[in-house]
Amino acid sequence: MKRILSVLLVVMMLATVAFTGCGKATTTDQAASTAAAPAESSAPAAEASSAAAEPAQAPAVTDDPSIKVLNLWSFTDEVPKMIDKYKAAHPDFPYEVKTTIIATTDGAYQPALDQALAAGGADAPDIYTAEAAFVLKYTQGDAYKYAAAYKDLGIDVDNALKAAEIAPYVSDIGTNPDGNLIGLAYQATGGAYIYRRSIAKAVWGTDDPAVIKDKVGPGWDKFFAAAAELKAKGYGIVSGDGDIWHSIENSSEKGWIVDGKLYLDPKREEFLDLSKKLKDGGFHNDTQDWQDAWYADMKGAGKQQIFGFFGPAWLINYVMAGNSGGTKPGEGTYGDWAICEPTVGFSWGGTWILGNKDTKLKKTVGDIINWITLDTSDTGLSYMWANGTFSIPEGKTVGTKDTVASGTVMKKSDGKLDFLGNQNMFDVFVPAGASATGKNKTQYDESINTIWRDQVRQYTAGKKSRDQAIADFKQQVADNLGIAVD
Amino acid sequence: MRRKSVSYAKYGYIFSIPFVLAYLVFSLYPTIYTTIIGFTDLKGLTKTDWKFLSDPFQNFEQILKNPSFITSTKNTAIIWIINFIPQILLALLLTAWFTSSRRHIKGQGAFKVILYMPNIITAATVAILFNALFGYPTGPANDIIQSLGLSKDPIYFLNEKWTAKLIVSFIQCWQWYGYTMLILISGVLGINPELFEAAEMDGASGSKAFFKITIPSLRPIMLYMLVTSLIGGLNMFDIPKLFVMNSGPDNATLTASVFIYNQAFSGSYMYNRAAAASMILFVVIAILSGILFYSMRDRSAAKLRKEEKRRIKAYNESNKMAARRAEI
Repeated sequence: MKRILSVLLVVMMLATVAFTGCGKATTTDQAASTAAAPAESSAPAAEASSAAAEPAQAPAVTDDPSIKVLNLWSFTDEVPKMIDKYKAAHPDFPYEVKTTIIATTDGAYQPALDQALAAGGADAPDIYTAEAAFVLKYTQGDAYKYAAAYKDLGIDVDNALKAAEIAPYVSDIGTNPDGNLIGLAYQATGGAYIYRRSIAKAVWGTDDPAVIKDKVGPGWDKFFAAAAELKAKGYGIVSGDGDIWHSIENSSEKGWIVDGKLYLDPKREEFLDLSKKLKDGGFHNDTQDWQDAWYADMKGAGKQQIFGFFGPAWLINYVMAGNSGGTKPGEGTYGDWAICEPTVGFSWGGTWILGNKDTKLKKTVGDIINWITLDTSDTGLSYMWANGTFSIPEGKTVGTKDTVASGTVMKKSDGKLDFLGNQNMFDVFVPAGASATGKNKTQYDESINTIWRDQVRQYTAGKKSRDQAIADFKQQVADNLGIAVD
Repeated sequence: MRRKSVSYAKYGYIFSIPFVLAYLVFSLYPTIYTTIIGFTDLKGLTKTDWKFLSDPFQNFEQILKNPSFITSTKNTAIIWIINFIPQILLALLLTAWFTSSRRHIKGQGAFKVILYMPNIITAATVAILFNALFGYPTGPANDIIQSLGLSKDPIYFLNEKWTAKLIVSFIQCWQWYGYTMLILISGVLGINPELFEAAEMDGASGSKAFFKITIPSLRPIMLYMLVTSLIGGLNMFDIPKLFVMNSGPDNATLTASVFIYNQAFSGSYMYNRAAAASMILFVVIAILSGILFYSMRDRSAAKLRKEEKRRIKAYNESNKMAARRAEI
């Protein structure tokens, strides 16, 4: 037995070495052929992969017929599922899709993606995605050079953008410093205040969004007045300070970096005081977003019942619905929610889709990206995404709905959700998109936000003074990111 | 004609080729590359070309002056010490029990496997597990503390500097004591059993035999344990990185390795500074290991060797004298 085991081990070790050797070899081969790509792409490759809505004026692009695998990198299974759907709709889709999913938790996705893009070769991603917190790095920052311009993928960008009425901030963020569009998001992520109808009735006698929006805003003064009223009846207004942070972060005028130096926007600095006020008043359950206690508040299982959350449509569908403790009205908090205009207008999140400039499957990559982001027809992804027909769970007639970036699609879509007591959420979310902006983002957001929110927690927990928290924040940014501070 | 004897040595070389190749490609080359880029201006994601700095030690200077780096080295030392002392004591105690000739503990194999188990679980899983255990404002640890009446309000374990450090140390200790114990047991089994028999015949108690025979004979194994644990401890990365989101409350669990990672991968891609910090860490580990080796060296053996050398010298000298005398 031992001998067999040791032989097996030796074989495995040799195999590993052999395979790594092979891997290296193919990578170099691939690199060599990438260098020769311009010559190949002019070859008349007769590859007609599908009959997707291809703009006629677009320059003709083709796939390299020798490639059989399409590499896809993403941080959730959302886009991979879209491509499964695309494959199902196109039975003659000739490629095997190799999917790599790495969660953004702990910042693991970016380093891995960076290395895959830098290494190139046969395993380099053909399509990859970037989340709002770091998309600028891939569209305008250090990594924008890896992405292909949509027009080089055979997409008639100017006409398609106009026809689909894509929200301007979505295309602003996706435009590289050379002025070419290289990324688009399929969602629009303007935010709302999402509140419990039963608590609204208990405190103010009505759950009408038109009334509640005047209670929680506009402006933080009204918000805290409402918080005090809620507190008097034993309710918290939000779950944790992360809830107000996302609306503050994304409603501030400027981002973390201005003229190459760290900049603390007055609105972001005010977060210190607002957070302290929340904690001192006992207006929240002091949870941290994406932690167990935060999810628990969505079904009212926390220390005190929580009135509401700030978030875009995706928070309702992908986070709150699943954590409401029920799947149909009457169960848990399902159906007990409604949305209204937030205290301050903001946007949060979104997934931008990019194609690798070195991809050999330019036509297919272009077709898929076009189908996901710009196709406004009833069979395009945007329409299915908005109307809940993308994936319909068993026993239901309609799946989750979401706001999409295309205004054209939104106009012909219906956002009624039984989770929201049949409120049409698009009535609130579509105007909310107007407050979305790409101008207050930087490629360092994920790292700097982590440091900032840690220091704010230190301050609100009474561990250091306000000035000390700001000083330590600046110091840590300088130490870890080498960014100049005052 | 005499037949040439078969040389087996070449098989040794052949079988070691895979390791040597893997080492050269995946260890030696990166090490050399790291050493070099520490003196360059390599910074930024898409950059691949670099040049040496006019002041070659600029990166090293910046790292040594970096307050977060200083905090990180202190944290690393504190977390390692808090984890190592209980770990080795616990491992020694378990070793004494498991190897005692008087107590025949039943199901030893099962115990060893169970105690070793934490080491098999990946760090990511452990980090998530403990994150849930020490959740705030509600979580198992807080539930227990509140129901026992130890604290009225829930404790924000991961937002308090010392609790965060202690939990990280505890996880390290819990993960590694089983491994340490196994190594120590194998060390004890390597001791000549006659020593124990003789001690028993002379009426030495169990604890006396442990302190007078087991511990001194374990010295080489202990040295091995100390040095490997020191290297592992100073390179501690996975739990601090995964458990408390990068650096913990106010940098409380920022270890040197996490600091290095942040330099290189948290947004600014300062590969040069990360390399410089790695080299500094390498030098620190080398010096500390050297000190350990020196202070833990076998003093009596060294004395014996010296004695022997002296005797040989004396013998040679007397031979020379005799030869000279004979000449005369």
